[in-house]
Amino acid sequence: MRLSKSSTSPFRLSLGAKLISYLILLFWTFIVLFPLYWLLVTSFKLPIDVSQGPKYVPTVDFQPSLHAWIDMLNPSDSANIFWRPYFTTIGVGVISAVLSLVIGAGAAYALTRFEYRPKPALIFIFFLCGVGAALMIALGVPWLVAVAVGVVVYFLLAQGIGWRFKGTMNNSDIAFWLISQRILPPVTVIIPIYILFQQLGMLDTPQALIISYCATNLPIVIWFMRDYFQTIPIELEESAFIDGASRFQVFHRIVLPLAVPGLVATFLIVLVFSWNEYTMALFLSGSRTQTMPLLVSAQNATRGPQWWNISVLVLLMVTPLIFMAVLLERYIAKGLLIGAVKG
Amino acid sequence: MRNLRSFLALAVMLVLMFCLFSLASAQDQPYAGVTVRVLSFTGPQVTEPLLRRGPDFEALTGAHVEVTTVPFSDLYQSILTDQATGTNSYDAFVLAPQWLADFVTPGYFADLSGHVASDEAIQWDDIAPFFRNFIASYAGGVYSIPLDGDLHTIYYRTDVFADEGLEPPKTWEDYLTVAAALNGKDLNGDGEADYGSCIPKRRAGQGYWWVLDVAGGYLQSQGTGQGAFFDTQTMNPLVNNAGFIRALEIYDETTQYGPPDELNLELNDTRSLFLTGRCALTIDWGDIGSLSIDPDSSTVAGKVGTLLMPGSTEVVDRATGALVPCDETTCPYAIDGVNHAPLAAFGGWGGAVSAASAPEVQDAAYAFFSYMSQPAQSNVDVTMGKTGYNPYRLSQTADLAPWVAAGFTEEGAADYLGAIEASLNSPNMILDLSIPQTQRYQQVVLDTVISQFLAGEFTAEEAAQQIYDQWQEVTDEIGRDSQQEAYLASLRISRDD
Amino acid sequence: METLERDVPLSKTASERQIRKQVRGSRHDNTARFVFLLPTVLIILFLSIFPLVSSLLLSLTRVNFVRGGLDIKFIGLANYEKLLLGSGQRHFIGSLQAPSLFGGLCWLVVSGLMIFWFMRYVQSTGRSITGAFFHLLATILTIGMFWIVVATLGEKGVPGTFVVTLIFVFVGVFFQYIIGLGLALLLVQDLPGRRFFRVIFLLPMTITPVGIGFLFRMMTNTSVGPFAPIWVGLGLRDFSWAETGSGARTAVLIGDIWQWIPFMFIVLLAALEGVAHEQVEAARVDGANRLQLFQHIIVPQIAPVSMTVILIRLIEAFKIIDMPRLLTGGGPGTATESMALHAYNEWRSPNLGGSAALSYLLLFVVTFVAIMFVNIVRQRIGEHL
Repeated sequence: MRLSKSSTSPFRLSLGAKLISYLILLFWTFIVLFPLYWLLVTSFKLPIDVSQGPKYVPTVDFQPSLHAWIDMLNPSDSANIFWRPYFTTIGVGVISAVLSLVIGAGAAYALTRFEYRPKPALIFIFFLCGVGAALMIALGVPWLVAVAVGVVVYFLLAQGIGWRFKGTMNNSDIAFWLISQRILPPVTVIIPIYILFQQLGMLDTPQALIISYCATNLPIVIWFMRDYFQTIPIELEESAFIDGASRFQVFHRIVLPLAVPGLVATFLIVLVFSWNEYTMALFLSGSRTQTMPLLVSAQNATRGPQWWNISVLVLLMVTPLIFMAVLLERYIAKGLLIGAVKG
Repeated sequence: MRNLRSFLALAVMLVLMFCLFSLASAQDQPYAGVTVRVLSFTGPQVTEPLLRRGPDFEALTGAHVEVTTVPFSDLYQSILTDQATGTNSYDAFVLAPQWLADFVTPGYFADLSGHVASDEAIQWDDIAPFFRNFIASYAGGVYSIPLDGDLHTIYYRTDVFADEGLEPPKTWEDYLTVAAALNGKDLNGDGEADYGSCIPKRRAGQGYWWVLDVAGGYLQSQGTGQGAFFDTQTMNPLVNNAGFIRALEIYDETTQYGPPDELNLELNDTRSLFLTGRCALTIDWGDIGSLSIDPDSSTVAGKVGTLLMPGSTEVVDRATGALVPCDETTCPYAIDGVNHAPLAAFGGWGGAVSAASAPEVQDAAYAFFSYMSQPAQSNVDVTMGKTGYNPYRLSQTADLAPWVAAGFTEEGAADYLGAIEASLNSPNMILDLSIPQTQRYQQVVLDTVISQFLAGEFTAEEAAQQIYDQWQEVTDEIGRDSQQEAYLASLRISRDD
Repeated sequence: METLERDVPLSKTASERQIRKQVRGSRHDNTARFVFLLPTVLIILFLSIFPLVSSLLLSLTRVNFVRGGLDIKFIGLANYEKLLLGSGQRHFIGSLQAPSLFGGLCWLVVSGLMIFWFMRYVQSTGRSITGAFFHLLATILTIGMFWIVVATLGEKGVPGTFVVTLIFVFVGVFFQYIIGLGLALLLVQDLPGRRFFRVIFLLPMTITPVGIGFLFRMMTNTSVGPFAPIWVGLGLRDFSWAETGSGARTAVLIGDIWQWIPFMFIVLLAALEGVAHEQVEAARVDGANRLQLFQHIIVPQIAPVSMTVILIRLIEAFKIIDMPRLLTGGGPGTATESMALHAYNEWRSPNLGGSAALSYLLLFVVTFVAIMFVNIVRQRIGEHL
């Protein structure tokens, strides 16, 4: 691999340069950690400790109080608002990240190894059939019938008039089209998505959140993993084919193990996105599936932000992610090879 | 082939996980009987008592109360989308009375007049008439059960005023004078200069109500039925006149006597500034009274005075838009020559019941709100700062005992309740706007333009013209006639009483 | 840079050859090629394209909530007209006034460059009618947009949400890249303890944007925030960043930059670790100093990664909403209101049609900027995007 041990690192340093480097690194560590420290101390403050001006050190500047932690964590309190959103966030975040990784990695692999020449016209016809089917469902037609009708109409049209269209797309067009979906601001698409899930009776279910997050994260997965798969030499796959392996076997046994760093790094990024997402959750989740960002935002009540509660919630939210970042650190830098392909 | 199979196995496992997860969340309802799903906003204010008393109510009636909270700022949208799309994930809603027009018109809420008429425990007549009308009623029906009563009053530091020999303000000019005099003085003995007046002016906060507080005394002098937002004849906004512009100038001047970052302060911030002794004057809802006696939040217990909203000695002549001095015809309700028009800002929270829920669920939901509103519960809740409930029953302002028991001094309680009572009894009280799409008039147009004005992007005249133009546009978009009808209906409510 | 440009056709054919070779890979490929791609296409079609088209239709309507559902009225382009020319113009575009001298000069320079770019295309060998049309369109749009920027940022002008968004995006991404690159350069060195720093530097990215909005409201409070004593010590007691538009924008930018430096940092670190060591060693033997090393060896090698990561951040940064929403509420005035926040506010009002129109304008601006970026970068660095 191109990643070498530090002993051969070309960036060797004199003692003075080392000192300056450490000074800058420590300064930046302070910049990163101080806000987190402030969250921690604020979580132990009473309202009056916040409003009386900055107080930095518990027990010295103020008497720490566990009131916010007890409010949030006490499981015997029937009015507890914390645990359900917490588990919802973990479940939805992890499942949607895994799902988008599985689906997206397959697509990314296919885009680097197969040649596609689809006709945009056919995709458009397919899309129209899909919309038609959705409309039928909305109008009360059983969904199986609607889907069947849509599929049949598509094949009739595709066989009937498909050959008339000449324009084709290639792999980078498909990739660009898929990736460009990331451009959509959530506000643009959320109202139709809300109505879609409402028609399907899926509002306020974890499935709706999982599928939506999967859709918003797929472009990122494809973008990252496509660039990663391009760095994997294809000779290994070729020799496996000579030995009679199938494409799925090759993907599963040779490509995926080689792509572990990329998969892990992408998983973490995607997990962070769906873990922290706010706008879509605001629409799609209700009493049963409230997620943590909503709960955090909700602490800004009529009386203004409840700083102590916000601090507790943000700390509890970020802890699992920090834990994972520490655990998987060695994969992260190795796995993000976007744009690194030399062709 | 074997590997294809294990690949499929992975997919199946994922699908299974997916299903298990959905199952786990679907069967999370271990309670038998009726479940009332209440939508509220995250507290502790307002929601805390619902959560606290829910189990008691269940023990009494067997109905399980499930409270969901969304951010305060998203509550309106959550109710609207839930009802408009027929999702109906909730049976009952905690809501602001200003939204009733938007929700009652399309038929989202159940008319509760029958329930109220046959319910003695709620003691309907004990609820102050103003709240019975403004919070509860719309278009002749009862759609919301009052849980809280909200109006703005002035809070000031009695000790500081006594030391400096200052009189509490009666007019807005007085307010500016005392704020200027006290700004920069050390008010809490920590050796640092403090502020004369603290008003939350943050964009997308609730700052627009404070402008209306100031403008009220200039705009409305002929009693509640006159209205302070639109001309009842033409439905033209009452903003591009000398009175509103004068109010904008006063509002802008108060910034000079406040904290430097006042333009980014929310209610929470100004409250904590006042409660830690850093402000001489503030305008706020009743919460501040009960919070001031809570040692976890306040260092000014026993030093807080409460006042009727200041007024003006000049009022707008609606024919010309100019200011005319107060006399017996122009200001029939003036006190000592000053026209006061206290604003029922926001008005108070109420509970409404979804018309789409099953009848027995509707009954249970009503019973829950009734239980919350009954004096046995609410007279205790209003004395607790954290509930965010402020007095709305006659028995709550008449009886000092629960307030003293909660930690008020006798004198403080009398002063606090006296100012609230005086506002409630004022024949010239301003009804907050309650017509379809009130949000767009106030939270979007008014809030944005006021913020632009305070940031110096507009002069007072330009700001008034902007509000006027944009309000006209909203009115025309929705329909001038229907909006005028709704506005008149909202004012007529008070005339009938 | 010139050599890289010439490399482009080469690398393209190389990857094409790769694909063709692989087509013969396996008997099952005819099934596999669809099994791999189909789920993605389906999900994107129904959760991105379908809502996209519906939103477009929604933006041409006025929606009212009436008894029994929604009353949807087709009103043509009125929502767009209101934002671009009507009463919403002041909010969306801003107040156009004479630009400052410096702004005017900048505008002239940019206009000159764009016209030069267009002329060069017209005179180039690969030109076509459609190509010329799109280049002309891009030139006119860029000049027009830049005029809006300089005219609203002049002495008397007031920027609308469009210009505010551009400021957030370009200033934010610029600093994220510079600082992210600096940190990555430090940590690619052979320093004991670098694993520790790597993990620490990643942390801001893992916090929910909603939480960071609240966090920075605490941090930037000049009376009870942690830096209040320093602020007062500097003699700024009676001054607050919240009073002025540029001050508030700076506060929002600081929070946004703090949050997204880690992303730039980690990707650039990966790229720097991949820099071919032989070249570095060879250059060192030839007596290249640190700066020359950076300029001639490292920069060209990490350029493709840099451009990709900048593109990703550009696209993401246009969606900025939680930071201004929670830190300043979009105030003072409209000084920190981004287009996404503007659309969110319209949607809340509730003005679904207006909100959809704004979202579409946002989509248009992002797509335009992304395509311009990709095209300019492709011409200069090669096809990696």
